Amino acid sequence: MLSSRLIPRTAVRSALRSQSSLPTVLSPVSRWRRGYASQAEEKDLVIIGGGVAGYVAAIKAGQEGLKVTCIEKRGMLGGTCLNVGCIPSKSLLNNSHLYHQILHDTKNRGIEVGDVKLNLQAMMKAKDTSVTGLTKGIEFLFKKNGVEYIKGTGAFASEHEVKVALNDGGETSVIGKNILIATGSESTPFPGLEFDEKRVVTSTGALSLEKVPEKMIVIGGGIIGLEMGSVWSRLGAKVTVVEFLDQIGGPGMDNEIAKQTLKLLKKQGMEFKLGTKVVSGDNSGETVKLEVDSAKGGKSETLDADVVLVAIGRRPYTAGLGLENVGLEVDERGRVVIDSEYRTKASHIRCIGDCTFGPMLAHKAEEEAVAAVEYIKKGYGHVNYGVIPSVMYTHPEVAWVGQSEQDLKKDNIPYKIGTFPFSANSRAKTNLDTEGMVKMIADPETDRLLGCHIIGPNAGEMIAEATLALEYGASTEDIARTCHAHPTLAEAFKEAAMATYSKAIHY
Amino acid sequence: MFATRVLRQAAAHGAERTPMIRFIGKRSVPSQVDHSPQPHPASPTGSLPSGNGNSHTSFSSYRDAAQQHGPLRKSIGNTSAAKLGPVEPPRGMYWDRNELPERFRRSPLTLAEIEAIETGGAAMFG
Repeated sequence: MLSSRLIPRTAVRSALRSQSSLPTVLSPVSRWRRGYASQAEEKDLVIIGGGVAGYVAAIKAGQEGLKVTCIEKRGMLGGTCLNVGCIPSKSLLNNSHLYHQILHDTKNRGIEVGDVKLNLQAMMKAKDTSVTGLTKGIEFLFKKNGVEYIKGTGAFASEHEVKVALNDGGETSVIGKNILIATGSESTPFPGLEFDEKRVVTSTGALSLEKVPEKMIVIGGGIIGLEMGSVWSRLGAKVTVVEFLDQIGGPGMDNEIAKQTLKLLKKQGMEFKLGTKVVSGDNSGETVKLEVDSAKGGKSETLDADVVLVAIGRRPYTAGLGLENVGLEVDERGRVVIDSEYRTKASHIRCIGDCTFGPMLAHKAEEEAVAAVEYIKKGYGHVNYGVIPSVMYTHPEVAWVGQSEQDLKKDNIPYKIGTFPFSANSRAKTNLDTEGMVKMIADPETDRLLGCHIIGPNAGEMIAEATLALEYGASTEDIARTCHAHPTLAEAFKEAAMATYSKAIHY
Repeated sequence: MFATRVLRQAAAHGAERTPMIRFIGKRSVPSQVDHSPQPHPASPTGSLPSGNGNSHTSFSSYRDAAQQHGPLRKSIGNTSAAKLGPVEPPRGMYWDRNELPERFRRSPLTLAEIEAIETGGAAMFG
């Protein structure tokens, strides 16, 4: 082969050139061209998606001095979480809880109220005000940190170029040294039931119903289903939750806590059909009809409802992103395949958040956003996937971090347990809000904290202490010997820790 | 932890308990970080993005997927260098730079560059 490149100086080169077997190199930009300025400014980082993963990465990158562009097609920053997820649902959960409490839980507190009415439109407006305030806040933070914000739909044109179809019409393109995919997730559809967001709804539709349905069926007894089911149950709907498994709460929730949650939600009026499979659905009549069957086989029945919420999970959203244009791969569940530094096979293209591995949680996406930018800028980052808390914002709240008792049993890991009920906690007593408990799981030899599971008032806030302890590798004795203010709900947390290696004082 | 450390110090005998929370000192920036691709901790299969060096079991399979200015031609690497003959041209023969791949050739000068060189750069400010 080399001999074909050996050419006598005097040979007729043009004749030989046509026979050359040397590879031809094609480049979109002619290498003969010598410019004194580049055509378009190359960004250090281009982020596709302005959800929690994308916007946090954009702000962090701005803070680190990178030239950064964030592309978002919704027209509002914050993604699912801020616009149609965590934030609006928490607004409805909080306000519906207040409404429910005013209706049913005032007399024994010495408060007499008159005629209590629900103004759903005003409740929705309060929700929208919270959402708008927060999304505008992110736009402000973008400006503050020098982040360029493009409203449009981004798709890979090449490994370094993202074409953007602008929301206002027209097209532009952005070139980035690094590109971050943060396109999030969408609700998994139920086969045979088409979403119209009026009668067959995803969590998005369930956040904006125009009136309180008389009957509502929730398919899926995970966190989203139980939170939205709680909202509409408190506002007056008869809610039935249909769950395929024999337990509610989804993966990770401790069995003992899940059972207690089920009991408390039933007490609040929600109905549950566990171990039940939805076979088919029919949306053609006045109500939506569902054929359900025992998951283990057996009797079938027909359920009907004004609104059916499908909450069977979420799936990564990468449609229209042009992954195929750059040869990026997704796994069998549609997650972009990455390595431990969030790199795809093209090492300058990284992916974080719901559209890749790990739990689909906003706080996990935030951690990844900071880590990914640090990998780009500094070469190292940190996310501990073993210490990511989960919270269900029902009432009482349910929160957990680390390993559950069933996890440890399955893996044959020795453990010991300490529990403390809120009924023995002074603050919970004064609040007349005593349902629930703290369950602490520790290593039997060292007392090292392995997991913490809380059902009770303020569990979502309290889990932060367990997360910190777990991240630092604390023992339950370390927790129990740390002074906790009195009277607080957090004392229940301390006493549960104490109960793992000794005895709780107040129980 | 402070409280248990105090207890520990106070313990005059035997079974001392070591607190598990300890301050590990000033933050230090790692001087060397291994950036070789490792599976993502939350990956269910522990696999790496394909096309990544580490996911190939042999050099040959790496070459099949490797990219350098487009896909690498497998034919370029499938003959051993020894069989290709000497690298030095035989006596009286020379390598011709213009027969090398485009990226190794001289870049032609533009008229503006020629002028800039000929005027010692003065043309650029004229």
